[in-house]
Formats: sequence, C-alpha cells, structure tokens
Amino acid sequence: MNMEHIYRRNTTDTEEKSIQYIQQKDEAYPEKLYVHKGMPKGLYVLGKLPDPQRPSVAIVGARRSSCYGNETARFFAAELARAGVQIISGMAWGIDGMAHMGALEAGGDTFAVLGCGVDICYPQGNRRLYEQIQKTGGVLSEFAPGIAPKPGHFPARNRIISGLADLVLVIEAKEKSGSLITADFALEQGKDVYAVPGRIGDSLSVGCLGLIRQGAGLADSPQTILSALGISEKQQKPDTKILLAKDENIVYSWIRLQPVCLDELVLKTGWAVGKLMPILVGLELKGCIREVRKNDYVRTGLRITNGEISGDSGVTCKGEDN
Amino acid sequence: MFSTILSAAVLGIDAYPVQVEADICDGLPQFSMVGDLAAEVKEAADRVRTALRNNGIAFPAKKVTVNLSPAHIRKEGTRFDLPVAVALLTALGIIPREHTEEILMVGEIGLNGLVRPVSGVLQSVMLAKERGYTACLVPAANVREAASVPGILVIGIQNLQELLECLVSEGIPERYIRKEEFLPEQDVEYQEDFRDVNGQEGVRRAAEIVAAGMHNFLMIGSPGAGKTMIARRIPTILPRLTVEESLEISRVYSACGLLVGEGLAKIRPFRAPHHTISANALAGGGRKILPGEISLATHGVLFLDELPEFSRSALEVLRQPMEEGQVTISRANGKYVFPAHFVLISAMNPCPCGYYPDRDKCRCLPGEISRYLHRVSWPLLDRIDICTETPRVDYQGLTRKGENESSAQIRERVEAARKIQKRRYQGQHWQFNSRIPVSAIPEFCVLGSSEMRIMEAAFERMNLSARAYYRIIRVARTIADLEGEERIRDIHLLEALGYRSVDQNFWDR
Repeated sequence: MNMEHIYRRNTTDTEEKSIQYIQQKDEAYPEKLYVHKGMPKGLYVLGKLPDPQRPSVAIVGARRSSCYGNETARFFAAELARAGVQIISGMAWGIDGMAHMGALEAGGDTFAVLGCGVDICYPQGNRRLYEQIQKTGGVLSEFAPGIAPKPGHFPARNRIISGLADLVLVIEAKEKSGSLITADFALEQGKDVYAVPGRIGDSLSVGCLGLIRQGAGLADSPQTILSALGISEKQQKPDTKILLAKDENIVYSWIRLQPVCLDELVLKTGWAVGKLMPILVGLELKGCIREVRKNDYVRTGLRITNGEISGDSGVTCKGEDN
Repeated sequence: MFSTILSAAVLGIDAYPVQVEADICDGLPQFSMVGDLAAEVKEAADRVRTALRNNGIAFPAKKVTVNLSPAHIRKEGTRFDLPVAVALLTALGIIPREHTEEILMVGEIGLNGLVRPVSGVLQSVMLAKERGYTACLVPAANVREAASVPGILVIGIQNLQELLECLVSEGIPERYIRKEEFLPEQDVEYQEDFRDVNGQEGVRRAAEIVAAGMHNFLMIGSPGAGKTMIARRIPTILPRLTVEESLEISRVYSACGLLVGEGLAKIRPFRAPHHTISANALAGGGRKILPGEISLATHGVLFLDELPEFSRSALEVLRQPMEEGQVTISRANGKYVFPAHFVLISAMNPCPCGYYPDRDKCRCLPGEISRYLHRVSWPLLDRIDICTETPRVDYQGLTRKGENESSAQIRERVEAARKIQKRRYQGQHWQFNSRIPVSAIPEFCVLGSSEMRIMEAAFERMNLSARAYYRIIRVARTIADLEGEERIRDIHLLEALGYRSVDQNFWDR
C-alpha cells in the first residue's frame, strides 16, 4: 500500500483521466491478443494501441546489458521503425529502454507494456522515455492504475508483449532471463523468434545462443527481420555520404561496437591526446561514433556492406574495416 | 607597580594587537585575570605562578591583577602565558621596563618553565612588523616561521632562564637572535613525480590543462586505476610558488598550528579529506573558528576521492568558495574570511562496484548506476570543467620503464601558459582562464566562424547547457594558451569538447 502511494504521487490528475480502459468485448481490443487464451480481460492504455494493420516487433533483452547490446538494440529498433514497424517492449532498463529509444529517434511508433499501472513510471529513471512513448505510441498494462510493480507481474506482462508482436527479437539474455520467458510465450503463440548472436563465453550471450541452437532465427541485420516480416527493402533513401579525412578514417577504423577507450586509441594510432581528441569529437559531431561513457567510444549502429559503412541517421562513412 | 607588555591574539587567520597589563599592589593575596578570557587564558595565572616559583622566583603574597586589553574582544589559546610572565616580572622589578618596550611576545609556559610553541606566530610577527615594533619574542620551536618575516628582529627562547638572560640585562645575547630566513627562489623537490605514472595518456594531458588554467577536474575510473596517484602529482606540475602565495598559505597553516618547526610553505598544499568530512570541517568553523580543508588547500589541490560518498551538505559548501576564491564564515561572534584559491580534483567510480561497463565483472543494474551518479550534486558537477576516464593499466603498461615525461617538463609548459594568462588578465580581478566571467568571454575568447559552427553542432548534438558552453570555451582558451596560440582554433574547441563533464546523456541515462 505504501509503495503504491509513493508511486502514485508522481502522476497528475490529467494523466489519470486520459487513461482508457479497453475490454475484450470492445472493438478496439487487439485481435492479436483476443485469439490466445489467458489474455487479460481488458487493457489500460495511456496513448494509443498498436495499429493492427502494421507489422510490429517486440525487442526484449537483458537489463544489465552491455554497450554492444545497447547499440544493437538501438540500431535494430531504429532501422525497423524506419521501415514502418512498430516496436513493442517492456520499458525496463537496458535493452528494452534502448529499443524504445531507437524507435523514438527514428521517429517511429513504440509501445511499452508495463508490469504495473500505466500511471506509474517504473523504473523511475526512465521517466523521460515514459513521457515520450505516450506522445506518439502508447503505454499499456493489464494492471489497473495505481497498482505497484511486483516481481510476479513481469513474467505475466511478457505474454502481452509477445502477443502484440508479429515477431520477437531477443538481444542479450543470460541463462535464466525474463526475455526467454517472452520467447517461450511467443513460441506458444506461434510467433517467430529471432535472436542476435553474441560472443561465446560472454554470460550475456548464453540465452540468445541457446535460442539459436533451439532453432530461433539468427538476426544478423535488421534486413533479416524485415524479410521475415515480408517487408521488401524498398524506398532506401539515398544515404548522404560523409567523406572522412584521412586521420578521421584511421581513428574510425579502430572503433568497434565494443567500447574503446581513449588510451587504447593513443596506443594504436601512436598519436598524442591533443591530436586524437579533436578527431574523436569531430567524428562524434558527425554522428559516426558515440561516447557511451567518459572517453569510451563505440560506433553508432551500422550496416557493413563492402567496406562502406552507413550509420544511423542516414550518414555514410567510408572506413576501412580492419 | 604597573607594567604593560605587547602581544597579539589571532582571530581566524588574522592577528590583532593585545596589551597585557599587570599590576601588583598591597592587599589580600589574590591573582585575578580579566579581559574577556577563555578558560585556557585564565589558567595562565596558575601556570605562570608555578613556573616562576620553580625557576627560583618567589612570588609575593600581594594582590595581582592582569588585564588583557582591548578587554571586550574574546581571547583564546595559551599564547598569553609568556607576556603575562614578562608583565609580572616587570611589575616585580626583575626585568627593567625599558627592555620590554617595542617587543611583541607570544608563547606558552610549562610548569617547569619551558616555553612551548603556539599557533598563529607568523601573523603575529607580521603584525609586529606592520606596527613598527623592533622585535618579537617567540618560543624557539616557532622561530623558523617567525624568521620568515623580513625586517624585524626575532628572538627565540626555550625556557624562562633564557628569557631572563635576554631581558634582565642590557643587550640581547647573539645566540638567541634568529637570522631572517626568507623563501629561497629555488626548485623544490616534491616526493612525487609524473615520471612514475605509466600510460594514462588521456589523464596526463587533462592534468596539464587542469594545471595550466586551474580548471576543476573529475576523474572517473575503476578502483586501482591510479586516480589518487595522478591527483597527488598535480601540485608538482603547478607553477612554482610566488612569495605572496607562500605567505598566504603559511598564514592559514600557522593559524591552524601546522607550521610549528617549519618556515614558509615551499610546496603547494595537497589536501585529501576523507569522505566522511562534515561541512564545517571542509569550510572552516568550530568552537574556535579555524580555517577548514578548502582554505588549507589554498593555492594548491583539494582532492575529493569517492566524490559520491561525500555528504551533500559538505559538497554544497564548496560552491561559493569555488567561485569567489575565498570562504566567508559568519558566526555569532563575528565574520571570518579565509582564502580558498584551490583547484578541485575529484575522483569517482563509474558505478557502485566500480567495473562498469565491463559486464563480465559489473553486476550493477542501470538503475543503481544512475542513482550512484546522481548522488553527486548537479550544481557541483556543473562547476567541473574537465572530466576524463582513468582506464585500468594492463601489465605491459605497468611494467614499462623510462620515457615518461617528468613533472618538471610538464611544469615548464604550464608556466608558459600561465605567463600568457598573467599578461592577458593584467588589471582584471581574475588570473586564470577558468575564472573568466561570462561577460568577459567575448573579449578574451574570440571564436571565428568555423569555431562557431562547431559550437552550434555541439550544442545540438551533445545537449549542452549554457554553463557547459562557457566552460568549454574556457578550457579551449587554456588549450590554445598551452599551444602558444593567440586565437582559439577549431581543434582547441574540439579537444575541449572531449573533456566536457556534465553531459546530460551520460549522467541521465
């Protein structure tokens, strides 16, 4: 009770009023859910429900995700959203949040299914995300407004995540992960499951590699997902090419999806910090790399085709991939 | 018989003159001390009387009154034992009155007659010099700090016998007079050197910029990455102390009793208070108002390790001194102003366990990490100009020998950059790039059109605040000065952007 009180303090009256309750008998109730057993009698919605005419993909994964996972989630979500796919996730820390963020950055619709009342932002730290999702997409829950998040709620809400999606994409999962529960629901519901492979030996790869071994699709690029959904690669807008200077190219080629720190780059290029730092910031301003942590850099999500590398926001950087 | 002896009291870090008057007359035997005295000052009566008796001076059974004037100002400490003793000896006619004129005295006396060191001797001697007194009589242990004030005779004594030797007969024996000892303008060897730091190229460069522009600095890194090691070496690359700086540091240390047995400060202070420190201990205060850690770090380095562990109230206290270079402490019995021209060096782990983003080691939830980072107050972070990561150094890096740059080499470049700043800010109320007020930035930090474009792009992409914007320009100014360039160029701005600290995206994720 106490907890509920604390969570509720953060919501305003107007928010409470704009919450809709959609019951199974209503026309608006998603058909994708209707056809399965054990689905909730009704859904509370803040914002809107996913458009049944458009494809939707659930992206789920670890909360304690790595930078590689974060970048991948952001990139996949952005690319799919750009192709018109709706992104569904759980607004948790880590992969979930990154998937929502990627979709929002690409200007797509994204939907969060919560394990608490829709008037409660959980986790609190994702407040900004919570507000942005409501604007274009929606926040959904089977729990009545005011109900606090409890550990038992989360596996249950996973059946809605997979239910609303046409395909479930798992990015980074440990051996025992809530994301695998979502994948199980998806299989029960007859949906495709895809997993992004990780390096063997990393604890965060175990879940995804296990899924692939069991027959899940291997998600090596957003195109794989798009073709699985039957969306042909069309209207590829011509990428604006950014030509990198020679020095920039050298630095860029050393930066991967795993964070590289400044000192490592100093060692690899043999340049002084005073020379290297301006190049790094220049690349950052061009959108080719991102500083994930102080002085740790990663490439922004990329498609690699014949050494031509295109980053998100349609920027193309020519970099040797050595 | 009546006598007057000159002495000085110390309030905060400033000395002010006190006259010790003694009167011995017929009446009921009694010893009274008056003049708004703290308990330890009143105890002087017992100490002095016993010490005199133990040195063979019989104390007469008469009515003795000692007054410390001005009588309305509170007097604290044991520094008045010596002047009280001399006043009594003069009133008794043992010491001729002419021999005590124009001599300022401070010191504590033990029951056996030993003269013990006291705090605040430096400012007392400076006061004596200002007032035109001829000499100062101080405990032998304080003689080095006293002798660092030029133009006044300093007499150091160890016990009452030596006191009598000095004052009873005409002329002071040569052996008690201490020669002036002024700050020699020579290279001072620090114990630490940047030569000992292997790898850490990013932090080395950042430290150089920090020293050149007195920019506040934050290091983020895993435990054992060498954050403390770097911080300890920052005083060694700051410019050599000037005489004025040394005097100011020494005044603070003297008031705190930390200068006993030593002369003027020769090295820049490095203060590293533990994170359990209270706001008062950091800013100064207490029952007897004394300078805190930030004043003890003046003209040097204040190092706060484990920044998120410091109490919020302690950190908030830093904000005003960081901007004004001094700290004002107001209490019921007065207002005290202490210098605080420190450069803040701080260090923290990237997450509670310290290993983020190494996910094989780090088990922290993103929520925990974000909560940890948010323990540091935002306004304080907003005053930190330079932020870098201290990566863990691997075995090869650790065991690599030689070829590291020494502190002296780095200091040379820092001093050159400081010289440029000194010339540029002549007649202004600030001396360093980090202190340029916003209103003066357009005058001293001119940006060309390509530089403006960079700042515009950065403003959009990096979500900079207005304060962050100006901080980056100040850091770029320092980088340009280190390169010896008159104008801030694009590469200077880009490098400065790489050291930005409060990035909404970083802290808010």
